[in-house]
Amino acid sequence: MDILQSWRRVLASDDNRRRYDAYIERWESRIACLLERDLTRATGTPDAALPLSGIPFAVKDNIAVRDFHLTCGSKILQNLVSPYTATAVKRLEAAGARVIGKTNLDEFGMGSSTDNSALQRSNNPWNASAVCGGSSGGSAAVVAAGLVPFALGSDTGGSVRQPASFCGCFGLKPTWGSVSRFGLVAYASSLEVIGVLARDVDTVETVYDLMAGADDLDQSSLARPAAPPAREIRTVGVLRGTAGLAAPIEAACRNTIDALKQSGCEIVELELPMLEYVVPAYYTIATAEASANLARYTGIRYGLRAAVDEGQEQMVAATRNAGFGDEVKLRILLGTYVLRSGFQDQYYVRAQKIRTAIRNAFDAAFQQADVILSPVYPTQAFVRGAGELSPFAQKLADRFTASANLAGIPAFAFPTGVADGLPVGLQFMGPPFAEHRLFDAVRRLPDVAPLMRPDGYDEGWRS
Amino acid sequence: MSAYDVFIGLEIHIHLLCASKQFCGCRAQFGGEPNAHTCPVCLGYPGVLPAANEESMKMAFLVARALECELSKKCFFDRKNYFYPDMTKNYQISQFHDPVGRNGRFDIEVDGAVRTIRIHDVHLEEDAGKMIHQGRCSLLDYNRAGSPLLEIVTEPDLRSAVEAEAFIREFRRLVRHLGVCDGNMEEGSLRCDANVSINHPGAGLGTKTEVKNVNSARFVRKALEFEIRRQARLLDKGERVIQETRLWDADKGATAGMRTKEKAHDYRYFPEPDMPPFVPDEPFLAEVASRMVERPLQRKQRYVATLDIAPDTADFLVEELDAGRLFEALLTGNIAPKTAANWIAGDVQAQLKRADTALQGSHITPERLSGLIAMVEEGRLPRGKAKEVLELVIARDEDPVAIVAEMGWEQVLDDGELDGWVVQVIAANPDVVQKVKGGDGKPLAFLMGQIMKMSKGKADPKRAREKLEQAIAG
Repeated sequence: MDILQSWRRVLASDDNRRRYDAYIERWESRIACLLERDLTRATGTPDAALPLSGIPFAVKDNIAVRDFHLTCGSKILQNLVSPYTATAVKRLEAAGARVIGKTNLDEFGMGSSTDNSALQRSNNPWNASAVCGGSSGGSAAVVAAGLVPFALGSDTGGSVRQPASFCGCFGLKPTWGSVSRFGLVAYASSLEVIGVLARDVDTVETVYDLMAGADDLDQSSLARPAAPPAREIRTVGVLRGTAGLAAPIEAACRNTIDALKQSGCEIVELELPMLEYVVPAYYTIATAEASANLARYTGIRYGLRAAVDEGQEQMVAATRNAGFGDEVKLRILLGTYVLRSGFQDQYYVRAQKIRTAIRNAFDAAFQQADVILSPVYPTQAFVRGAGELSPFAQKLADRFTASANLAGIPAFAFPTGVADGLPVGLQFMGPPFAEHRLFDAVRRLPDVAPLMRPDGYDEGWRS
Repeated sequence: MSAYDVFIGLEIHIHLLCASKQFCGCRAQFGGEPNAHTCPVCLGYPGVLPAANEESMKMAFLVARALECELSKKCFFDRKNYFYPDMTKNYQISQFHDPVGRNGRFDIEVDGAVRTIRIHDVHLEEDAGKMIHQGRCSLLDYNRAGSPLLEIVTEPDLRSAVEAEAFIREFRRLVRHLGVCDGNMEEGSLRCDANVSINHPGAGLGTKTEVKNVNSARFVRKALEFEIRRQARLLDKGERVIQETRLWDADKGATAGMRTKEKAHDYRYFPEPDMPPFVPDEPFLAEVASRMVERPLQRKQRYVATLDIAPDTADFLVEELDAGRLFEALLTGNIAPKTAANWIAGDVQAQLKRADTALQGSHITPERLSGLIAMVEEGRLPRGKAKEVLELVIARDEDPVAIVAEMGWEQVLDDGELDGWVVQVIAANPDVVQKVKGGDGKPLAFLMGQIMKMSKGKADPKRAREKLEQAIAG
């Protein structure tokens, strides 16, 4: 709780808040990760009885917070103010925490760089010409720069873990169903979950514990089992055949394996041939669900409405054409295609079968290993214009992260160090509800977080 | 026109009588200020999720059970994708792969004979809002959006428009007896689309048309009669029926093809990821079982066969829920079922009609009615006075016994008092008595009149006459 403790006094006095606001301002001029901010919500005397009292946090702008905008990084929702608050946010507010801003993202969570935001270009705090990753890039960057102790993101295919790795912070994708999705704007409902980004394991754990649990407003949410999987870690699985990794990522894998061995873990090599099918299965299911989930944006009840008066069909078509970006249109079209009658067996049904096979493969793997160590992404954050991956290559690169979403299992990305001025990170995956085992796995490793501060990171102003 | 085989299948939608909508806590009811009963969930705001209403699930299982369906052991929801402004999400949460019930059956009565119609499936879904066109603009009211809707699909087993009408009427009775729907077709709480095809005898199903926009059982029959004649004329001429949706126009008494572009709809059904499968457990099924009622047709048959009630009266008691409840309450007493039924269908109905009121709230209770019937049966009240007593019960909310006492309408049954009046009348009219003794029966009426006058109308006429005749003969 050390980091959280140091944040408690921040919002208590006007003086502190002024300095805090100035600090945010200084960073924002460089990284532009907040789409909206409102420090006035974060006033009041901390109540020591509440675990997060007086602590500010930021929320990805596809998660509803009443009276804040809910743009999803899209022009189609640019003017929407949320009439309600997501359950996960409500639980944190009940614990005393206060939302001070909404963070940038790839439009509707579709992308790996946050450059797909239709509203704002955000930068990586470590290097302003590098992307912050995505789709929860804004949340990762504000945490890495020290603007907030933690931020919420959402992870559909790696959208919490990949930006966490790109920006050098911790990022948890919880078990599907363990955190209510009520208030998370749906992209691919069966894959996504609200996650936490923070600069230390303890904060991630505290926030996760407060958010998790069944919610009447989300009937797919699950109560945590009375006897969750044991925390103890004896065996760590590593994937065989992870060719194509950038050198710093490969080095991080080797070093982490060595560190785990030194801490007394047995390393088990795992074959997961199903991983080859992760990306096609993921994009088939995600786009199919997206094609239905995004159908509600028509301009009729809220959001952008095109000035067309030839009839409702024309108005809706013009609104969607003007309001959605290219990547969103591409995924809606793909999803509509794979769900056509007569083609469902070939695409959607087959993808679901692959998904079941992947889930079974992970079940089997966790019979051999307590946790699995894996890369998050084959590269570090890419610098724009140099060595950038094509949109197609970016999708292929989702294979390490999207597998956990297809299997519904928890995965925890953690920083391992800095190479060439940019962070490097890896992830642990575990069986359903083994979040705490993942936290403990990371705690076995040398503590790298305090050493990883981008230029301009300031802890002094808080104390 | 040659004779053709007719095949009719019905798709009936009923609004379930739930307090709240299918997936949110908004009130599910007709009317109200436009969009007064809405929230982020039923308006399809970004980020909201459906939270299913267990009450509607119970009602759905109850209907499926009443229709003798195979009940789903694991019930899934699907998304049915189509764009229309009254659908807030542009997909409807419905059931396609695993409906609540399948392969059921339902008995109807046509011309006194029972026919069994197979039920294809019973599934739960959500209703859409309402679009109202006003000049160049369209207005949307989402009060109804997300209301629980149950769809019942029959097999094409109905063989005539008359059978289709009978099915709707019988089904309407069923859902009202189950208490799951008010059955009001005019207000749209029970809606029916009909698929109809005809073919040469023995040739099986023909090319069907779907008739929509029919808001009463009678119009379903009329629309189908029209449609069957129209199709028959085509086949007579050797032409073909085009598969299409046709709208019923009640004013013209005709169906007409919809002018919209005929594009084959691809609803792209897929499993609803926001809803876990619903697995009915023992307590759930036990509660459904506890809400089961005797099916209306069976009840009618029981009334006729074992209670000796006329079929029309039995129909009335099954059709009118309050009258039926009153009847069932009277059955627990000493009154003969047939007597109770006739009172309810006869005098009670007549007086309610005169007072222009309904049984419910009319102050007629089972206790009051049985008290009234008992007085008449025992001869303490002239049958003819019963109407007036009922009228006063309705008007004053008083007990019939008290009314009769207050009005002094009670008949005197006491032998001593009757004998006294008889003796006095005979003594006062010796001439008339002589005539009667001489064989002229007519003056007896005069003597009876004297008795009634003397008793101020309280003498029981039947017994007084018996005593008078005995005394004169004696």
